[in-house]
Amino acid sequence: MLRVLQDLFRYNREFAIGTILVLIVLSLAGASFFSPYPPQDSYVVPPDVPPCWGHPLGTNSRGQDVFWQLTVAMRNSLLFGVAVAFLSRIISLVIGLVSGYAGGVVDRVLMSINDTFVVIPLFPILTLFYFMMHDHMSWTLLALAMASLGWPYDARLIRSVALSLRNREFTTQSVFSGMSTWQILFGEHLPYVLPIVLSTTMNNINWSIGLEVTLSVIGFTNIETPTIGTMIYWANQHTAMVAGIWWWVLAPVATVTMTFIGLFLLSVSINEFVDPRSRLVRVGG
Amino acid sequence: MKSVTTKSVSYCLAASFVPAKRVLKRLAFSLVGLLFGAHAFAQADFLAGIPRNEVLIAENPEGRITNSTWFNIWVVNHGSNSNGLQQLGMDTLWYIDADAGIDGVWDNSLASEKPTYNSDFTEMTVKLRDGIFWSDGVEFTADDVVYTVETQMKNPSMVWGPAFLASVDRVTAPDKRTVVFKLKRPNSRFHSLFTVRWNAAWIMPKHIFEKAPDPTKFDFKPPVTLGPYTLKSFDPNGEWYIWQRRDDWQRTTLARFGEPGPKYVAYIDPGPPDKRVIMQLNHELDIIHDTTPEGMFTLAKQSPSSHGWFKGFPYAHPDPTLPAVILNNQVEMFKNRDVRWALALLIDIKAVSLASYRGAATISAIGVPPTGLYPKYYFDPLEDWLKNFEIDTGKSKYKPYDPGAAQQIADTLRPSMGNQIPSDPKEIAAAFGRGWWKPNPQVATELLERAGFKKSGNQWLKPDGTPFSITLLVEGDQRPVMTRAGTMIAQQWRQFGIDAKTQAYPSDFFPRVASGDYEAALAWSVETWGGHPDLSFFLDSWHSEFLKPPGERQPPRNWQRWSNPQLDKIIEQIRAIGFDDPKGVELGQEYIKLAVREMPTIPLMSYNVFTVMDTTYWTGYPSAEKDPYTNPVPNWANTKYMMVKLKPAAQK
Amino acid sequence: MKAYALYFVRRLSQFVLVVFVGINIVFFVTHATPIDPVEQAISSATQFGHSDPQAVEIMRKALRELYGLDGTLPQQYVRFWSRLATGDFGPSLSAFPTPVSVLIRQSLPWTVGLLVTSTLISWGMGNLLGGLAGYYRKNGLLKAVGIAATGLQPIPSYIMALVVLILFGYIWPILPISGAFQMNVKPDLSIPFVCSVVMHSILPVLSLVLITIGAWFVGMRSLVSNIVTEDYVVYAELAGVDRRRILTSYIMRNALPPQLTGLALSLGAIFNGAIITEFVFGYPGLGTLLVRGVNSGDYSLVLGIASISIVAVAAAVFVIDLLYPLLDPRVKVE
Repeated sequence: MLRVLQDLFRYNREFAIGTILVLIVLSLAGASFFSPYPPQDSYVVPPDVPPCWGHPLGTNSRGQDVFWQLTVAMRNSLLFGVAVAFLSRIISLVIGLVSGYAGGVVDRVLMSINDTFVVIPLFPILTLFYFMMHDHMSWTLLALAMASLGWPYDARLIRSVALSLRNREFTTQSVFSGMSTWQILFGEHLPYVLPIVLSTTMNNINWSIGLEVTLSVIGFTNIETPTIGTMIYWANQHTAMVAGIWWWVLAPVATVTMTFIGLFLLSVSINEFVDPRSRLVRVGG
Repeated sequence: MKSVTTKSVSYCLAASFVPAKRVLKRLAFSLVGLLFGAHAFAQADFLAGIPRNEVLIAENPEGRITNSTWFNIWVVNHGSNSNGLQQLGMDTLWYIDADAGIDGVWDNSLASEKPTYNSDFTEMTVKLRDGIFWSDGVEFTADDVVYTVETQMKNPSMVWGPAFLASVDRVTAPDKRTVVFKLKRPNSRFHSLFTVRWNAAWIMPKHIFEKAPDPTKFDFKPPVTLGPYTLKSFDPNGEWYIWQRRDDWQRTTLARFGEPGPKYVAYIDPGPPDKRVIMQLNHELDIIHDTTPEGMFTLAKQSPSSHGWFKGFPYAHPDPTLPAVILNNQVEMFKNRDVRWALALLIDIKAVSLASYRGAATISAIGVPPTGLYPKYYFDPLEDWLKNFEIDTGKSKYKPYDPGAAQQIADTLRPSMGNQIPSDPKEIAAAFGRGWWKPNPQVATELLERAGFKKSGNQWLKPDGTPFSITLLVEGDQRPVMTRAGTMIAQQWRQFGIDAKTQAYPSDFFPRVASGDYEAALAWSVETWGGHPDLSFFLDSWHSEFLKPPGERQPPRNWQRWSNPQLDKIIEQIRAIGFDDPKGVELGQEYIKLAVREMPTIPLMSYNVFTVMDTTYWTGYPSAEKDPYTNPVPNWANTKYMMVKLKPAAQK
Repeated sequence: MKAYALYFVRRLSQFVLVVFVGINIVFFVTHATPIDPVEQAISSATQFGHSDPQAVEIMRKALRELYGLDGTLPQQYVRFWSRLATGDFGPSLSAFPTPVSVLIRQSLPWTVGLLVTSTLISWGMGNLLGGLAGYYRKNGLLKAVGIAATGLQPIPSYIMALVVLILFGYIWPILPISGAFQMNVKPDLSIPFVCSVVMHSILPVLSLVLITIGAWFVGMRSLVSNIVTEDYVVYAELAGVDRRRILTSYIMRNALPPQLTGLALSLGAIFNGAIITEFVFGYPGLGTLLVRGVNSGDYSLVLGIASISIVAVAAAVFVIDLLYPLLDPRVKVE
């Protein structure tokens, strides 16, 4: 396994760049545990200082060090994104595999439910959900809400793969050899489905962070917790772009771009690696 | 069939690539040419058909109007108040200015003199002006006033219907110029319903509304106006409204002061605060209603033609509203005055001012806003009393008032802001305020301990043993400066050992506060006339007869649900005297002293509005130093007085 | 043909079912909101002006009657569906008594115009560039375009809108930054009006396109690079078929169907990003209307907008599902 990774790193440039970017982001998030300033406090350092030695990314109008705020923000946003992606993967995997394999009535019912969720406008439901909860709204609840709304696209994708797998020879063989449905689904089919799941996970992390940013910009999340979204929210509150405090906006945007590109490159290169034909193309065959 | 569709689509897409290089080049050139042409086009005609130097462009803080074609301002949830309708189109009996007024604080607008009451305030007589005409040529008479009151009393879902129903028994017009109100109960301030402080009961045109089958369903489009402007055109999507000066402007009440300068006035929705700054830098927005402190500082730095109410720091106009920490006095932990005072002594107003307004705040320690003429009536006379005010904790005696708090804020800002910060003590008092309470954790500790609170480790505990925690409600991004203040205050309480946090509640904020379902909130329950010292505008509603029990909605404005028999006595005494009686100021001062002793809310500062005016196309705006003749904030109906003072700027 | 007819009927019934369930869900969620439109109305009416505690009580009662908020939930439910049959969503509670359908009708064309234009441009350009990038793998320019497009994707729409606004509205002020058309222009079908609409739409469309083009580009590129390895493509190349012809007839044509599906689905999802863009540029679309409705507890309005968007997205999915087997012969209609 380690050999494979090493080879990938050495020969596949996309994998290399992706890994480096993701490692940078992860170490940023990890650095948050060493922050010298309590993350929720404001006016701990002089405000609006451009990047310099003492403050590598400058300070913002709230008197916080942008670099250390960024580390905490990255950690929270990543945790949030991964949690949402993880939870919604589970749902979409189960529904997609079962639906594609079982076919018939089960498939139709599940896909109807799926389509209903596709069709419901996400934004108004989330805002309404926020108002229903208001006092009890927390990041966990928001993650659960978004996970329960973010699975339908990928469930359909997984289902189409499962559909094609159903008719393959090895499936019929497994059925004849007496494997249970669950064994077939998760023993035989899962490995085929995983590459798609990987790339959709990256998409999903990006989607959930993006939605979190949208909601935070409008102020619907807990604005005292530093996340990428709330950093941008506060920057807008202080009209940072017009006031010339560009480093406050650039830092979270650049970091989230790095995260996205890194995860994307990783998933693309893993996808390519797993599919033997494209691996051949890379080698030049 | 199937092949044709995909084939054509894909062919179009791909086939365009090869000659694409050539086509792209040509496209690029023509695009650039088009854009340069567009540049010229955009600069020349910001408003189609109206020369830029004939129109005053102001911000409507309501943003985009949902009910955009609706001009019936008398229905709740009508279209808009401040799209120019109440500022330029409406008129009523009297106006009180938040500042000095063009010719004194009080203006008899449609009325020709002040109201006359009988001896026990159960009857009010009004004399009206002559020669005032509606924009369609019909003369304004007392019948319009009677119609306004009677129609709204018949339809209590109209805005002033409930207010009239509560007070008016009968209204009659003995002749064309006189209106007589017979009241249900003595009300020495009944006239305030018709006295504009931001808005008031506007007069309806009888000859238009009596033709409508149902006044609550009539859209009044286009509006027939009594003010000096009529509606020229508007956006069906509610983004802009353009008003035009009436040709017969001499037949309106504003004509007493001269001809309105701008031929056209446009009220627009300029979007987020960043965009407002950009638009004024482009000279496409003459009056910004409000922006962030940072936006204000950017404009001050980059645009020499833009100025605020003050020439220098803090630039903003202090509106006669008093943001404070509203404590819910019906919540168990806040019932004890010692606890409330302790919380006040933990707040460092300098840090709060810096965090919220970047220092551009006008602080106030007492329960009236430091604006308009109030320094003369309330702040200067009470300064000595405040300096000598003493708290007795049982263990020690302490004088909490620090008269130099505002001075210290100014001193903190001077190194970075230079001579934008005044040095003259009088100017500092006008701009930054006077004193505030000195933070003292030791005294706060003694007060809390006397109230039965205990400190366990780093955490304070209530008398019943549970942790002392406070949730401070803030409005969120609808009111960013107040949100920042709240965040800083919660942080200071936290540093002391109280489990304090803020909660942003952007949409349903005031109804939530009214419901009583909160512990503390950063809001305001004090709003005053500004120019006139009478406090009944807010104080009357603080009487305990209006106090609701916990769980029921509290009517405005006693959000803190405070009740005190001494307060009731003061209010009843005010009710018994006339509006201009000088004893009113004495009673007002007694209220202030009582509020200091009891600390039902913790007053912070005035509501500073960063209204920025651009002198590129128009000059003559009100300003604190040169001519404080009205409130520059353009959504106040009082800004109609700006129109006569504005003159076209000399073109460079 | 008969199989297709059966398929049509099945998909149609699924469409109806989905719309019904979706609208029901929105109905119950909107009516579960704790925001009371009457209290909101009272609060906005008394916030600035003179307020008399006794008067507020009278106003509260009068407004309850006026808005027709009496009646239990089942009664309101029945009333809602019977009105819906005639396309009437009832009066808006925050803009009483203007009907919700009138408000939606005013804002819908702007949202549709903005979304359709930016989606089509971003889909068309994204697919074109992505297809080329997938086929001509060695082209440096296309690779750079790919990185740029991917990099722009995660930028939040608020920031992108502001950057575009600052670039073209302030630093190089050549384009209008506010509103759907110029002020003081009559909204009829005259040339000045149409020109003005086009000019005012350039910046919002640009900011939306920049964010969304990346996804199409990447999707198309990976699809094409997968198809490139298919046997029939290799065969055509070996057989000496003109490269351009391979790109159009062999590769793109097979890559399009999934992208078309994605197009239909994305028309629903792009609603979210458009809200902020509309807000920044003062574009009078459904997004800002919706946020105002939610903020004032106007559940008639929210219900109306949500229902329209549910029907639109479901219809788009339905149409695509019908077209898919016609476009791609490999798909069997079961």
